[in-house]
Amino acid sequence: MRLSGERHGMISKVNVVPLIDVCLVLVIILLVTAPMMVQSDLPVDLPEARTREAEDEVNVSITLSSNGDLAVDDLRVSRETLGATLQSRLAQKGNNSVLVVVRADSNAPYVAVRELLDQARAAGAERVAIATRQKTGVEQ
Amino acid sequence: MTPLIDVCLVLVVILMVATPMAFQSSINVQKAAAAGKSADMMAKTERVEITILSADSVTVNQAPVRRERMELLVRPLLELSATKTVVVRCADQVPNGAFVNVLDEAKRCGAARIAVVGG
Repeated sequence: MRLSGERHGMISKVNVVPLIDVCLVLVIILLVTAPMMVQSDLPVDLPEARTREAEDEVNVSITLSSNGDLAVDDLRVSRETLGATLQSRLAQKGNNSVLVVVRADSNAPYVAVRELLDQARAAGAERVAIATRQKTGVEQ
Repeated sequence: MTPLIDVCLVLVVILMVATPMAFQSSINVQKAAAAGKSADMMAKTERVEITILSADSVTVNQAPVRRERMELLVRPLLELSATKTVVVRCADQVPNGAFVNVLDEAKRCGAARIAVVGG
């Protein structure tokens, strides 16, 4: 018995290519968004800078928002619990020489940034960086 | 037509997600205490000391200069320096934006290491 579709060259199998396409896209989106998920959603206006240094994909971020709120990665903390939270993050497996990125608002006073750098150092951070926003446009 | 729309939508989503990441960067700073000690051991000619007094004024190796003209002093000093280390001190009330601006300027002038002192 011959199917009538076969005679006219009709494809009778289920086309799985679009499904694979969608699945791959989901994988890509998850891969791209995974590092962002660990950053706090506190409002921060990062200072602009032209230089760009290699930033590790895995890092611990300390966020200081424009209204003075603090967060370690995506976890909101108070000034009192910052040190302990940082210590526990840095004590986690694989975090012994992780980069600690201080994400401070551009209007925050330096004394607050210095305090965060001190806290990171006291918690055992070996490598510390200050987060910036990549300045784009024509070089002056 | 549908696969084309699918691909276009995917590109839009990827761009939307990746844009904020592409614009965030960072400047590495040395641990203040360790860098301060090692910086003290260096010969004076091997390091450049920048003190940020306010959002507009800095001193480069004790010489006062406006922030926007800092490059004129820092670049030749870094060219002479073998270690290309910059030691930065900053007044407490200077905004983080101005502080980062000085670090950025130092990097652009050729600084290989930046040590922040005063913590």
